[in-house]
Amino acid sequence: MSTETQNDGDDLEDRVTNFLRRNFPQIQMHGGSAAIQDIDRETGEVSIALGGACSGCGISPMTIQAIKSRMVKEIPEVEKVNASTGMDGGEEEMDGMSPSFPGETVDDDGGEADEGPEAPF
Amino acid sequence: MADFDPEKFEDKYANYFPELQQAYKNAFNRMNDQYDSELVHAIDQQVLNESEPFYEGDGEFRVELPDDPYGRVSGVLVEEDRFETVLETHVEEIESELQRVFGFQ
Repeated sequence: MSTETQNDGDDLEDRVTNFLRRNFPQIQMHGGSAAIQDIDRETGEVSIALGGACSGCGISPMTIQAIKSRMVKEIPEVEKVNASTGMDGGEEEMDGMSPSFPGETVDDDGGEADEGPEAPF
Repeated sequence: MADFDPEKFEDKYANYFPELQQAYKNAFNRMNDQYDSELVHAIDQQVLNESEPFYEGDGEFRVELPDDPYGRVSGVLVEEDRFETVLETHVEEIESELQRVFGFQ
């Protein structure tokens, strides 16, 4: 009767999903998405694809680096994270050419200092 | 103004994530205004996604790039010299923005 062999994997997937949701809410808040492409439970390798607004946005490089850096620290089973915006092989996501988020009011043309530790993203 | 602490920058993605995003995004937007948008996007998505900023001391930041940046870019036709020039400018913009965001300018 035991068909529970997938529980470990499901649990890890849940934790990866929750990790992204908890630590990077701005991805969804700004019209982006983070999809788990693959989880290799033997090697601890996780592949994440950022999509939507993320693929045309100037903050996605830092988001990707942060996901890579923090996930291996916060989820012990994860040894390596591959994250991309899906642009590596082409420009299918290039329709999101506008780098700014709707409603965002960040001064981005050399105006006054925009340093706010509570920046809304 | 961010209260910059070099030691906290060691764990930058946990402690200074919004500021890093801000700096990269401001640099991106400025580059996007001044240079070929397709090339700037390609640099942003295919090179800078493997970059890492470091604090060098004295208010200076350095952005470390992955190996062979030109070889990483696909989907954009651009001469290597032109690519290197735009990439170098982009990195300088990020380093400058990091100084601004962290209150060194």
